[in-house]
Amino acid sequence: MAVEFTFDFPLPLGLHARPAAFIQEKCQAFPGDIVLKNLRNGRQGEAKSILSLITSDTQYRDLCQVVISGEGEKEFAASFKRFLLEDLKLKEEKALESVPVASAIIPRLVLSEKEMYLTGQPASSGIVSEKVFLLKAGFDWENLLAEEVSHEPASPQAEKKAFRQASLKVQQEIQGLLKEKKGVERNILQTHLSIITDQVFIDRVTALIEKDRCQARQAIYQAAREFSQLLLGAKSQYLRERAIDIQDITGQLLEQLGGPKLIRPEASLNQPAIVVAEDLFPSDFLSFKTGFIRGLILEKAGQNSHTLIMVRSQAIPAVTGVDQANRRLRSGEEVILDGNRGVVIISPGENVRRYYKKEIESENLLLKRRQEQASLPGMTADGRKIEIAANLGRPEELEKAWRDGAEGVGIFRTELLLYGKPVLPTEEEQYWLYKKIAEEAGGRPVIIRTFDIGGDKPIPSISLPQEPNPFLGFRGIRIYQENHELFRHQVKAILRAALFGQLKIMFPMVSLLEEVRWLKEKMAEFSKELQAEGLPFKEKIETGIMLEVPSVALLADKFSEEVDFFSVGSNDLIQYFLAADRSNPKVRYLNQPLNPALLRLLKQAIDLAHAKGRWVGLCGEMAGDSSLTPVFAGLGFDELSMSSAFIPEVKAVLSSLKIDDCRELVAEAREAATAGENEDLLQRFYQEHFSQEVICPELVGLQAECRSKAEIMQEIAIRLQLSGRVDNRAMFEQALWKREDDVATDIGFGLAIPHCQSEAVRTPSIVVLRLAQPVDWQSKEGLPVDLIVSLAIPAGEKITQKLALLPKLSRKLIHEDFREALRQARAPAEIVSLIKEATS
Amino acid sequence: MKLVAITACPTGIAHTYMAAEQLERVAKKMGLSLKVETQGAMGIENELKLDDIKEAAAVILAVGIPVQKSERFEGKKVFEFSVQEAIKNADGILQKVKEEIGS
Repeated sequence: MAVEFTFDFPLPLGLHARPAAFIQEKCQAFPGDIVLKNLRNGRQGEAKSILSLITSDTQYRDLCQVVISGEGEKEFAASFKRFLLEDLKLKEEKALESVPVASAIIPRLVLSEKEMYLTGQPASSGIVSEKVFLLKAGFDWENLLAEEVSHEPASPQAEKKAFRQASLKVQQEIQGLLKEKKGVERNILQTHLSIITDQVFIDRVTALIEKDRCQARQAIYQAAREFSQLLLGAKSQYLRERAIDIQDITGQLLEQLGGPKLIRPEASLNQPAIVVAEDLFPSDFLSFKTGFIRGLILEKAGQNSHTLIMVRSQAIPAVTGVDQANRRLRSGEEVILDGNRGVVIISPGENVRRYYKKEIESENLLLKRRQEQASLPGMTADGRKIEIAANLGRPEELEKAWRDGAEGVGIFRTELLLYGKPVLPTEEEQYWLYKKIAEEAGGRPVIIRTFDIGGDKPIPSISLPQEPNPFLGFRGIRIYQENHELFRHQVKAILRAALFGQLKIMFPMVSLLEEVRWLKEKMAEFSKELQAEGLPFKEKIETGIMLEVPSVALLADKFSEEVDFFSVGSNDLIQYFLAADRSNPKVRYLNQPLNPALLRLLKQAIDLAHAKGRWVGLCGEMAGDSSLTPVFAGLGFDELSMSSAFIPEVKAVLSSLKIDDCRELVAEAREAATAGENEDLLQRFYQEHFSQEVICPELVGLQAECRSKAEIMQEIAIRLQLSGRVDNRAMFEQALWKREDDVATDIGFGLAIPHCQSEAVRTPSIVVLRLAQPVDWQSKEGLPVDLIVSLAIPAGEKITQKLALLPKLSRKLIHEDFREALRQARAPAEIVSLIKEATS
Repeated sequence: MKLVAITACPTGIAHTYMAAEQLERVAKKMGLSLKVETQGAMGIENELKLDDIKEAAAVILAVGIPVQKSERFEGKKVFEFSVQEAIKNADGILQKVKEEIGS
């Protein structure tokens, strides 16, 4: 028996690859067959294959029929129909919220020096000066068909065999590479493997050979072309960029079949260079010797191709979307590739070289500063230790976390192992993974959080009911009883792997003490099983729970008798505590980390746990917000876990705090009536204890060796970024120039006051430079300047005390005696105190 | 002789206040009474009252952007300059205004 229903296809863009992926995800778990028939054109597609769904060529409002057969068909039909009519549209709309693409910023000097340059999108940051190497594409995709057409009749049997052999050969090659590669590169190779083994792809090639009497080469080309056209027609840049993976694989298959030999670039590139290509296949990128690609210039626009993901993970600068780069550049030509700004400068002159030499130096300084911050201990200035850890979801991210200075892993989210997988991972599979993590952590603590899944995140391998209110429903440990095997395999795998490092286990979504008791009983039961199986495991593993339901916070003393630690999941805790769905923009204002009620709750929970000798961590998103670090230190958190990119900054802030100040701050914050009061309180705290003054000695240059206005602007921007006051100096520099375009800021008396208000500025700041040689300010009067006082103001800054200092300083600069004092000062500190006096 | 002035510039953080300071400084040197209102990032400061304006022989605008509340000057003699000029050549400006209003 089968169940059928019809519906009008609801998406204006038709059934392209992304919604096909959503449908496939939904259907994967159903054990039977699901076919989608397009009643307009008579085509049909297998709902469990993305490629097959796409080939149904379903457009907006096409009448479609769904036929479902298999066990549980009736229930699934009901849920699938609701999915097609409601969820699919929501998911598609969410995915279409576009990400703005960064555009190029051309340095003024490059314009004024009339340099030749190309622009594109900044795709991977960093700057490199090197010779370019033009990479001719391995084969010409567009013209391939013409070459491939052959009129010789082919034997389908022989051609099918040829296709199978070629496919196997390419699979073997990828398998070989898989052994050497790890991390991002490995994932991409696995994607390629899945394309080549996709049943729909194989079926299409076979059909072309059998029915259309194509040669294997033609059939592969034709099938690949069809599928990549479908992807290229997709609205999403991400999906368009997937087409190149299909083309890459096709090239490799065709080469196996005696098609045009792919010119593997490593054959022709024998020294480090900036590689220029129309587009670069991931397999081409991998074939280069490590370190030979110093930079990458691509004609094709994009940010998310697999090649670019690898490029970024190796910190290679890249610019994409550079129109006609292959024709406008010549091999051997020297260029500067600026991946921060999205610019390529061709055979630059001396001035631009000088400018970029300094850019590269400051990049290195910034990197050094970040490394220094990363290597700080997680400790306040007066010695209170707070472990700074990383939130992770994939083992490949470990290496970066250590580089960023993580002292441990505060939460390893295991549910990512389940997404997109048709079957549950086995105990053995999980054991090897957790063991690898434990070993790679080399003695650092790693908290493995057991599967936290529920109605909001569908998992193909587990069927969970659709719920009206999934966040308050069947999720976290609440599903473990029904999905006992899932729970059992995971806990056993963790217990076994814990022998190889400092693994801890943590359970999500606990609300009652009975739940913890049940979890512990189960752990004891699983331990017995392991014992019976003769498998070695760790008997005493540190066991903790997420603190995300308010009931746990208030009863933390009782929970402390059962668990070793707590970790606050702040996103969920806030959403439950203030009764506000965090994904609903209409109630986003209720997401208040500084809400006094929340602070009282946290303080109480931490105190209760500490009194029983238990420790409390924080692993929610807000842990990475360094402006809140004093609050978390004052609340008494023992560990803060965050996305590793934030670690250096949080460590730097923490190391400048005194624990008693933080405690006082929290004591006062708990007595506030609103979060707004606490925001002001925090701002005052920063100003009092910690805030950056508007000027410091690093922002003063007594003998600046700037030869032009451009170099002065650069010097200002670099000093501000190195002192942590400007985030993106390219953007800041551009804002300074924009102000100069209105009217040049030289005001006579040898003084210029370049200034701007910009999003790139974090805190109002003043830079003072005395120039070694007077410089022409390129203004109407053309008078040279030798003294620079530059003002940097954050965008949208409210009138603050600090901002009020700047007008005071401006007035003072009118007086000759003040200017003279600035010119005569002997040390940066003297200038700092002159400015402070003038603005007090 | 009494004069009033307004200074204002696009960013409202530097030139506005420099021009005000320079005009005040030079006026004092020349023995003129001058009240300067600044329209900058700090909002309107040292605001000109209707009485100030009524008593003034002329209004000096040293601005790079449109002036707020300009209706206050209806019927008055208004001299407009750039902010830069007020900083670099306040002497010349005040001299010129003095000559034009003939005293």
